[in-house]
Amino acid sequence: MWENAALTITVFLPLAGAGVISLIPKAREEQARTVALLVSVLAFALSLAILGSYYLGGNSPAPGELSFEVNTEWIPAIGANFHLGIDGISLPLFVLSYLLTFLCAVYAFHHIEDPGKPKAFLALMLMLQTGMAGTFIAFDLILFFIFWELVLVPMYFLIGIWGGERREYAAIKFFLYTLFGSVFMLVAFLALYFRSGVGTFDIQELTALGAAGEFRGTFGLLAFGGIALSFAIKAPMWPFHTWLPDAHTEAPTIGSVLLAGILLKMGTYGFVRIALPILPEAAAAYAPIIAVLAVIAILYGALCCLAQTDLKRLIAFSSVGHMGFVMLGIATLTPIGINAAIFGMVAHGIITGMLFFIVGSVKDRYHTRAIAEIGGGMNQVLPRMSGLMMFVGIASLGLPGLAGFWGEMFALLAAFNPAPVLQEAGYLPLYRTLMVLGAVGTLMTAGYFLYMFQRVNQGVAPQRWRDAGLGDVSVIEWGTWLPLLILIPVLGFLPFLVTGITDAPVTELFNRVFG
Amino acid sequence: MSEFAWLIPAVMALSALTILLFGKRMPRHGAEVGILALGVAFVLSVLVAVEVFSANVAAVAEVEEAHSVQSVWEVGGREVTLVVDAAEGGEAAEIPAGVHEFRLEQSTELSPIGGGFSIEAGTRIDGLTAMMFLLVSFVSLMVHVYSTGYMHGDPRYTWYFTLLSVFTFSMLLLVIANNLLMVVMGWELVGVCSFLLIGFWWEEKANSDAAIKALLTTKLGDVGLMVGVVGLWSEFGTFNITRIYEGVAAGDFDQGLLTFSLLALFIGAVGKSAQFPLHTWLPDAMAGPTPVSALIHAATMVTAGVFLIARLYPVYQASPTTLTVIAIIGVITLFAMGLLALVQDDVKRVLAYSTISQLGYMVAALAFSYTAGIFHLFAHGFFKALLFLGAGSLIHAVHSNNMSDMGGLRKPMPVTFATFVIGSAALAAIPPLAGFWSKDEVLAGAFGAGGYSGTLVTVLGGLGGMITAFYMARVLWLVFAGEFRGNGHPHESPAAMKWPLVVLAVPAALIGFVNLPFDFAHPRGFAAWTMFDLAYFEGHPVEFNLLLALGTTLLALLGIAAATAIYRRRAAVANDPMLRLGLFTQVLQNKYYLDQLYMGVIVRPLRDRVAPAAYWFNDHVLDRIVNLAGAGAVGLGRVTYRTVDQRGIDGVVNGIGSTANYTGNLLKFAQSGNVQLYAGALFVGVFVLGVLFAVA
Amino acid sequence: MPADVMSFDWFALAPELTLLTTALVVLLVELFLAQRHKQFVNPIAALGVLVSLGWVVALAVDGTRRTSFGQMFVVDNYALLFKVFFLGTALFVLFLSYRYFAEIRTYQGEYYFLLLSAFTGMLLMPSARDLVMIFLALELVSVPGFVMAGLRKFDLRSNEGALKFFLIGVLSVAVLLFGLSVVYGFTGTTDLAGVGAALAESEREPLLLGSILFVIVGFGFKISAVPFHFWAPDTYEGSPIPVTAFLSVASKAAGFAGLLQVCFVAFEPVADVYAPVLGVIAVLTMTLGNLTALQQRNIVRLFAYSSVAHAGYMLVPFALVRPGDVELNSAFFSAVLVYLLAYSVMNIGAFAVVTAMARQQPDRLISGYAGLGQRAPGLAIGLSLFLLSLGGVLPIVVGFWAKLYVLQATIIEPTAGAIALAAAVVVNSVIGAFYYLRLLRITWFDPPTLTDEIRPGFALNVAVAFLAAVVLAVGVYPQAFAGFAELSTLATATP
Repeated sequence: MWENAALTITVFLPLAGAGVISLIPKAREEQARTVALLVSVLAFALSLAILGSYYLGGNSPAPGELSFEVNTEWIPAIGANFHLGIDGISLPLFVLSYLLTFLCAVYAFHHIEDPGKPKAFLALMLMLQTGMAGTFIAFDLILFFIFWELVLVPMYFLIGIWGGERREYAAIKFFLYTLFGSVFMLVAFLALYFRSGVGTFDIQELTALGAAGEFRGTFGLLAFGGIALSFAIKAPMWPFHTWLPDAHTEAPTIGSVLLAGILLKMGTYGFVRIALPILPEAAAAYAPIIAVLAVIAILYGALCCLAQTDLKRLIAFSSVGHMGFVMLGIATLTPIGINAAIFGMVAHGIITGMLFFIVGSVKDRYHTRAIAEIGGGMNQVLPRMSGLMMFVGIASLGLPGLAGFWGEMFALLAAFNPAPVLQEAGYLPLYRTLMVLGAVGTLMTAGYFLYMFQRVNQGVAPQRWRDAGLGDVSVIEWGTWLPLLILIPVLGFLPFLVTGITDAPVTELFNRVFG
Repeated sequence: MSEFAWLIPAVMALSALTILLFGKRMPRHGAEVGILALGVAFVLSVLVAVEVFSANVAAVAEVEEAHSVQSVWEVGGREVTLVVDAAEGGEAAEIPAGVHEFRLEQSTELSPIGGGFSIEAGTRIDGLTAMMFLLVSFVSLMVHVYSTGYMHGDPRYTWYFTLLSVFTFSMLLLVIANNLLMVVMGWELVGVCSFLLIGFWWEEKANSDAAIKALLTTKLGDVGLMVGVVGLWSEFGTFNITRIYEGVAAGDFDQGLLTFSLLALFIGAVGKSAQFPLHTWLPDAMAGPTPVSALIHAATMVTAGVFLIARLYPVYQASPTTLTVIAIIGVITLFAMGLLALVQDDVKRVLAYSTISQLGYMVAALAFSYTAGIFHLFAHGFFKALLFLGAGSLIHAVHSNNMSDMGGLRKPMPVTFATFVIGSAALAAIPPLAGFWSKDEVLAGAFGAGGYSGTLVTVLGGLGGMITAFYMARVLWLVFAGEFRGNGHPHESPAAMKWPLVVLAVPAALIGFVNLPFDFAHPRGFAAWTMFDLAYFEGHPVEFNLLLALGTTLLALLGIAAATAIYRRRAAVANDPMLRLGLFTQVLQNKYYLDQLYMGVIVRPLRDRVAPAAYWFNDHVLDRIVNLAGAGAVGLGRVTYRTVDQRGIDGVVNGIGSTANYTGNLLKFAQSGNVQLYAGALFVGVFVLGVLFAVA
Repeated sequence: MPADVMSFDWFALAPELTLLTTALVVLLVELFLAQRHKQFVNPIAALGVLVSLGWVVALAVDGTRRTSFGQMFVVDNYALLFKVFFLGTALFVLFLSYRYFAEIRTYQGEYYFLLLSAFTGMLLMPSARDLVMIFLALELVSVPGFVMAGLRKFDLRSNEGALKFFLIGVLSVAVLLFGLSVVYGFTGTTDLAGVGAALAESEREPLLLGSILFVIVGFGFKISAVPFHFWAPDTYEGSPIPVTAFLSVASKAAGFAGLLQVCFVAFEPVADVYAPVLGVIAVLTMTLGNLTALQQRNIVRLFAYSSVAHAGYMLVPFALVRPGDVELNSAFFSAVLVYLLAYSVMNIGAFAVVTAMARQQPDRLISGYAGLGQRAPGLAIGLSLFLLSLGGVLPIVVGFWAKLYVLQATIIEPTAGAIALAAAVVVNSVIGAFYYLRLLRITWFDPPTLTDEIRPGFALNVAVAFLAAVVLAVGVYPQAFAGFAELSTLATATP
């Protein structure tokens, strides 16, 4: 029973929660926080239960299988099924999404940007959660698409209502840009549906067909183009990233955390789950291009960060580079690369999510994001906050022993020996060059973070901040952050916590599809 | 014992955590934890060392046993037995089966990484590891004790000791690693600790500049390290060092890729061990607290590069090209950087440059002789730490780094003086102090190897020795002789700082005797203890070349003599002739203009030109395109609406939105050619469609 | 021509007759009502609609395929589907009208009379299987429309719009009639199926093709396809808002009902000729409609142009019709149906909100919607749903599935043209999203300019709530909808 219902309950619980919240009378609006917290805790607990039974309960499926699978007819008219399931590739991101939402719900007690309205805010946040989690476990293209799009609206409002000065511009840009991609994806999905012959949207069936070489040639290239465009925009991949700095910068803290933590991963996950397995030939054809763009993103992102004068925008741009590493891993079409990518996604979700939390809290206190305004010396003004910031920053620049390292290291590792398909196609030199450039990217990443430390954390604080008597990390903030702060070194020293889950399905998938 | 060696880093990690969490509340603010932990670590290291070394010695003895030939014959009715060592003269000897150097590997699979590959967490205990354990834990212990005095009263006292523990942990991790990934791990960790410690007083921008410079420069090398590690992985399919040894021994590798990887790795070493041309960070690193300079930037961390090469020595053997490169880089460093020490006024900088040049010796040595390289590393660790701590004691006394503020300190600071002299003599390679034996071994190794690079190293190494002797003598004269030029009344440092100096002076003086290169206590010493491979050890016995030794000693003495001649006359102290050699001085004082080069050609353009340009591109090109797409749609809409749509109706119904404000009589309006226009539009439409039909 | 032309099937005609009687009743009753009670004719009309809806249901239950006037008037699933849907529309238009006309207090009796007779014409339309009948129905729908559009005769805009509508309407009818007559001349029959059969044989005279073109042009006006859409914005803007809703949904739907019959049945054999033309028209229509809508500051004009754009989407399947390929054609057929249903639900919804707002801001400027989210969250949420649905990109609303059907139609057998159409639809969806989103933004993000609260009144609230519910429900479980469409596949529509 639990087996069949688990995912459905877990995914739609937050949505139900949102409904409940919207029923709270305006007079007692504050209680929305409590409700949201309860819901998110419950949902998180459920996701942990799934994780647990996946780990311990021997519920981990045979490679290529799904656990907690639900597959019922839904819209026979267009052959779309309600097909949920979970495997090692989905699980880490699935759980991560619940963790972050839970933490955001906690953080909501600390601060919600103007104009407040916790009711609406939290309802939207929970809606968002359903969309995010659903994307990672949908095994029917239409269902996937629905969850994918479901994410847009709440985020649009979160940015547009609770965002910074240029919120409306950022919100619309985010919405339209993502939309633009996703319609192409939709067309590609439909094309797959008809091309499959059997008329199915089922990801597994399509994967089987793809492995059997159903979608070769021009069709494959076109379909992949359509799908990849959408994912590339979401990821975001250079040069489709320009929505990201605005969205991340203008979004309220919680919005940025979820954007960076989960939404970006939806794109890269899409590559791993849909684009590559279903269209392997096309993937092999596109891989070198993707790899090049990824490395451009790494270096380019670093450069842009170096030029930033706005703290939050800097962190936002850092995502471009980090997702570059993820894309590079994916573009190698090797199990190592994909594992690296997934690890990178999780790590980036934790680290950058954490960074956005901190930057948000810093802004609460300084009431500015401008580095020049802050004027350095945060070590003196907010020693703990500053220490955390440097710790997470160092994690973000990929220090071994912290979560940020493995994703980058193995992405480079894989880039040095890309898939046989690519080697035969004579791309080995290209990939090795890219690998070296990527390694240089790690250097530049370190560069802009250190430069940031120097300008923000170190040096002597301006008198006015020292007199301002700003409060250091609050209890709620500690409560929100500790889980992430602990996860950072834990994942750094015990990478198998993630790769142990992902490796089997990834390797299996790639032996089947690219083997 | 060795199977518990992992405790050594573990205990330091524990201490780091303890200090971080509870240090502030402790009576001695956490210092005691660090010292205690290091005490334990040191004892453990000694135990490990004893086990490993004795095992190695035993192994060597067995081989000797196996090869000693007894020939017996009659002399005047009595039997005379003559024992001849077959290994004498150094032709590689047969190693009897079952006899091998000490090596203990423990490892557990850490995580799968896909494609059947996986990474491990493991320890590898052998001579090299044991030696590094001794060095690191001992020097670190001394520095800890010393710091309790030196850092006394610092606001971030606890944080300081946390970092020291973290650093020691990382260094030990790097040393104990049985696979390259863990090496990288420790490597990066020590880098960050060094960053945090150099910038320990981050209120000063100069300090954080120095810190950033250090981390970025070494990270530049780390790019090479990463590429190299990955390269080796793709060559041998493993990060495990022993596997890689085996792979090389089996000889199934692509020479080109191997050389590439090894060179890349060497770049890492160049960065970390401050070799030319990536050495520029080390002098600036002196911005950190002096004990840190002693521990990290003299004795241990900077030797990581040397350690890496030694660790992969057998692999490097497989690529002669790389060895030549190593030799060249090493020799350039040891000579050119030694010269820079001549013109420094800051005593720490003198020591810094001498460190760089000594590191040059080690690197160069590794091109020819494993033992020579790591022996110099070992010995240098002690006396350089001693010198730095001594310098610290001076600075602590006169509150200035500059020798121009010192002078005449022999009387007020006798202990510091004595120990400093010992250290300097050791560094200047005056027999029988440590530095003499180790450096001599380096030169002997190079000389024995001969060839172009060998000769180069021998010659420049010898001259470098003279320069070393010269500037150390110069320091001694400027600091301890003559009148005190600073202000205040300098006094001997507290016990906490004094005793470490004394303790360190002992090995600085005597450690050379563990590896005497000739036969009365024959090479059963250091060389045997730390060998990585019995066959190699048997094949490369240490050759002592008396003439060479005499020559270098002579040069050293010459240097001292010259310095004495110049500096014992007081006049020279005030206006140092070294600073009056025109172009020579100018070039040296500008550090060969390398800093300007890097800042001007790489850092500033990248940070102040390229980065903003990229960002501009982002906002004004990429983003513009996106916005234009949007604006374009709107604009197109305007055009369509105004021309296509509205003109279709009529000019009067103008104004997007409300048309309420138009004037004129309705009927007149309604009939005003309006309808004809409709009709016109209609028939135009029909016509267009007709054309389409014709096409269709 | 079948002999039993005069054979009557009262049951089959019951809905139309009921509506007609109600119309007359309304006209009479209104005379005897005091000025302030006149609005009570609205419930009467509603009652009539419900009754005739009941007849339709009865017919559906009965299920047999009935005919009258020979093959001219047919009652089958296809027809019933449309009747149900038209009557539903009528009901909502009445909801919209109640308050509105009660307030402007003009010609209520006449209005409801006209409305009902127009709807009678609509009920006839899907049943019509004969060119003449189609023409009749079309007239019956149009003529009352001309008058209703001018009902706000104290308002210049209203008169202007009405006049334009009238003149254009007449022109189009003339064109249509001309085309029909020529077709009859060629095929010798007015029966759709017969025409189809005849066209299959006859070789393609330019004049014949020309006439077909004229027919299409004629319908082009009704469905306000570019370049025959000029009248729409002015008329919509000028008419009373309920009438606008009626015009933008009901009469457009009627046009499509006719066009479906003509294109999929009568002209099916020459599809290869008209399909590309309609393809071009479709692209022009959606693109022009969207681009122009981008420019509007007046909400009604905005919806006017957006309805033009939607006509474009609905034309796409027409452009894919292939002679003889029943399999595919019926797929396209249902695509149009689905879109039509979805479109009307969301569009009426949107106009319901506009009607509710009309009182507060007669200028009907979009800027007047600023801060609606705070002033009337209910309305705002409803509006947002309708807008997202019209935008047709968010899967949880009905509009998405409609668009999905159209896209699907283009990709079943992708030819170059089909791909081009798909691309056009995709790009237009984004452009469309642009202005729907802008309205959304104004509704939620902008601070309110007016503060007085909005009381839409019971009828409107019900309408908005119900339609929003439908939009969402079908959005989540589209199967319901799809099944609805499948009730009347092309197969069932053709005799």
